[in-house]
Amino acid sequence: MIIGNFRIELEPRLTSPKWLYAAVPAGSLVFAFIVGGVFLALTGHSPIGTYSSLISHGYTSTKGITNTLGLATPLICTGLAAAFAFRMNLFNIGEEGQMYLGMIGSAWAGIALAGHMPHVLAVLTVLIVGAAAGALWVLLPAVLRAKLGTSEIVSTLLLNYVALNLVNYFIFGSRGFFRDPTTSFPQGRGVEETARFHSFGNSNTYPTVIIAVLLAVALYWFMKRSNFGYETSVFADSPNTARYAGMNSTKLTLSVLLFSGALAGLAGAMYVVGPAGKVDPGLLQIGLGYAGIVVAALARYNFVAVVLTAILFAGLRVGGASLQISSNPVPIAIAVVLQGSVLLFALGGEIFRRNRLRIRRVQQVSVAS
Amino acid sequence: MGSHRLGGATLFALSARQVTKRFPGVLANDHVDFDLLPGEVHTLLGENGAGKSTLASVLCGLYKPDEGAVLRNGTQVRLTSPRHGLQNGIAMVHQHFRLVDRFSVAENVVLGHRSLPFRLRASDLEDQVAQVAERFGLPLDPRATVGDLSAGQRQRVEIVKALYQGAEILLLDEPTALLAPPEVEKLFETVRAMTQVGKSVVFVSHKLGEVVDISDRVTVMRDGRVTGSVARGEADTRKLAELMVGRDIDLSPRRSQVPARETLLQLDKVGLTKDGIERIANVSLSVRAGEIVGIAGVSGNGQRELAEIVAGLQAPTSGEILISGARVNGMGTRHVRKAGLAYVPEDRLGTGLAPSLSIVDNLVLTRDRGFLVDRKSALAEAEAFIQQLEIKTPHAHTATRKLSGGNSQKVLLAREIFAAGEDSRVLVVCSPTRGLDVGAVEAVHKLLDEARSAGKAVLLISEDLDEVLTLADKVLVLYRGSVVHEVAGTEVDVEAVGLAMAGLS
Repeated sequence: MIIGNFRIELEPRLTSPKWLYAAVPAGSLVFAFIVGGVFLALTGHSPIGTYSSLISHGYTSTKGITNTLGLATPLICTGLAAAFAFRMNLFNIGEEGQMYLGMIGSAWAGIALAGHMPHVLAVLTVLIVGAAAGALWVLLPAVLRAKLGTSEIVSTLLLNYVALNLVNYFIFGSRGFFRDPTTSFPQGRGVEETARFHSFGNSNTYPTVIIAVLLAVALYWFMKRSNFGYETSVFADSPNTARYAGMNSTKLTLSVLLFSGALAGLAGAMYVVGPAGKVDPGLLQIGLGYAGIVVAALARYNFVAVVLTAILFAGLRVGGASLQISSNPVPIAIAVVLQGSVLLFALGGEIFRRNRLRIRRVQQVSVAS
Repeated sequence: MGSHRLGGATLFALSARQVTKRFPGVLANDHVDFDLLPGEVHTLLGENGAGKSTLASVLCGLYKPDEGAVLRNGTQVRLTSPRHGLQNGIAMVHQHFRLVDRFSVAENVVLGHRSLPFRLRASDLEDQVAQVAERFGLPLDPRATVGDLSAGQRQRVEIVKALYQGAEILLLDEPTALLAPPEVEKLFETVRAMTQVGKSVVFVSHKLGEVVDISDRVTVMRDGRVTGSVARGEADTRKLAELMVGRDIDLSPRRSQVPARETLLQLDKVGLTKDGIERIANVSLSVRAGEIVGIAGVSGNGQRELAEIVAGLQAPTSGEILISGARVNGMGTRHVRKAGLAYVPEDRLGTGLAPSLSIVDNLVLTRDRGFLVDRKSALAEAEAFIQQLEIKTPHAHTATRKLSGGNSQKVLLAREIFAAGEDSRVLVVCSPTRGLDVGAVEAVHKLLDEARSAGKAVLLISEDLDEVLTLADKVLVLYRGSVVHEVAGTEVDVEAVGLAMAGLS
């Protein structure tokens, strides 16, 4: 591009220095806030005031940060689920549906199995059954992908709608096992008390957040060090090389997709052992499965970064929601604009990590022939 | 060839004056001068990365030079695109053809031509195309679908296309890389027909092969600069290689120094039929410890299938494969590896190596790994290889795709020859020097020779006939999946081998 006497060029970097990996996301965040600030100013709100209120309600106040961590807990799991599959170029975008199934599965375990179990065992059983239900929901797409090469993108996405209607059916459409029999109001049947965690203090944060963070760290270590992590990285990079080395692609595809589904199922299970305690259609409204994909992409599929990104995102939501009830209410749409801009700038910022911006004075070439 | 003189000064058909082109981190062309006479055949010789393709791209209008000028018939031209180059009579045939597979020959030839009538009559076009093709001795059926043609025929389509669009100067990038010897001869006839009517041809090549022999002049480049320009007969291969590499290069034949011992790899009447087509037919051969058996042939005559069958990636539909006397066919690549076979596939990055993974991780690829991957010993191994084989890399954790072709091939060979261990005694190598520099070719040949001296049985499958003739103790020619010619390395009749490669024996 030439402006006046200057030529503006992007020049590919041969190597990206380490600090850029942190600087680009941070810069993206700043620019996203500037864009959001413009929207705020245009709608008659003070950007500074709104942002300080957002940060306080989302992160820095005790109530804010505990609300945020509570919301971030399942989001970390769906983020891990997406990152895990996407790293191997398996685009499981069915975290949403797998999470619903995790909720249904864990609620079943919490009602049917947890009654005679001690507390820790009950919670553990409920979490495991939820994870298994999530894995089961991705089994069909996984088998189709591994055996026939069917696009997992389409099949996992479509199953989200099936899962959504399944939850609606259990609560609104029928008077079955999952529906609370004691009231005519349509709501889920509560799980046994032994199958539920108590929150920290009087907050909305549950011990499941510790499990989610530990899981992220464990996954990070496992995928870096283990043979399984090694084989998936070879397979993701070059399927031909994997074949050359005699790796079993069917087995790898199946295990990666099933584990991804299990992680998404775990998100639903954590919702049950934490705030919900039952099959709760409220989960259908907040799109934590889809948000997990965004979180994973922003974290560049790095498991530890998923934790930080999930907390950042959850905070924007929590803070954004509380702005609605301030004296000069800011519409929730502004928080959504902010989230969208963070994503947009983060993805756009990639250009500056890979390229260097150069501005040169245009030189007139003259040559004697 | 005649030079046109005007007022006592030679008028060049095309010149580059002090052309400089920079890419990030690379000075691809550093004040390069280049002159092409009308009716001249001129080879631009240099290693990969020497800047010859960059210069050709500047000359045809694909790149704009940062400094310097391009002159056409003595007048400066500022080429803005390849189309603009073509308007000035300059055309380039790229190594990777730019044709539409589903279109016919005639359709491809006229594609992009500006002055086509609104209503195209296929028969008119076909007649025109056939005329051009015939005039320059390029046998082509204008109605054939390009997707069905061989590499040599596709190249003809590209040349006819350039001529049809009025090219006076033709730049050919690595034109003989995909051709069998008789096809090369055919190409040279076309080139002669072109120069007779005053057209000029530039060969861009990294190989000291046939193209140099028919050139009137050879200009050698190294590291973005011209290191020499010699007329025909002024320099021999050795001298040109030295200009290219900057040091003395030894590409003389290497043969086994010790008598071959027991048979380690044996194929007995091996056949492969896939989708009803016979890919490999009744191939029998044996490779003994301490010898290199070379398989020559034009690309696509069953080399890949043969290599994959031996390596256990495909099961043969008939016949037996024995490694150290044990039957291994159809047992899968891990089993075959355990039986003592190492395999260097043709496709280095993307099959032999995982391109985004580090050198260390690529050394781990063929090991028994257990639950946790031991990268400590692999790192030590990688560092030893980097030092011994002079692999140019920032460090052992660099992704293999960031290495040059020669250096990544060294990593692959190191893994398959040395890291595979003492028990690995059979080595199957496919086109190990394709696309490599002269210097890297020398290094790879030395490694293969070392493997032979260490008592390995080496099966070398290569489309590069010179390579097979340089290394092999026994030469076999593969044509349409069958061995059609077999001769000892010291008794090779090059012409007979060339004919066999073209299926004419």
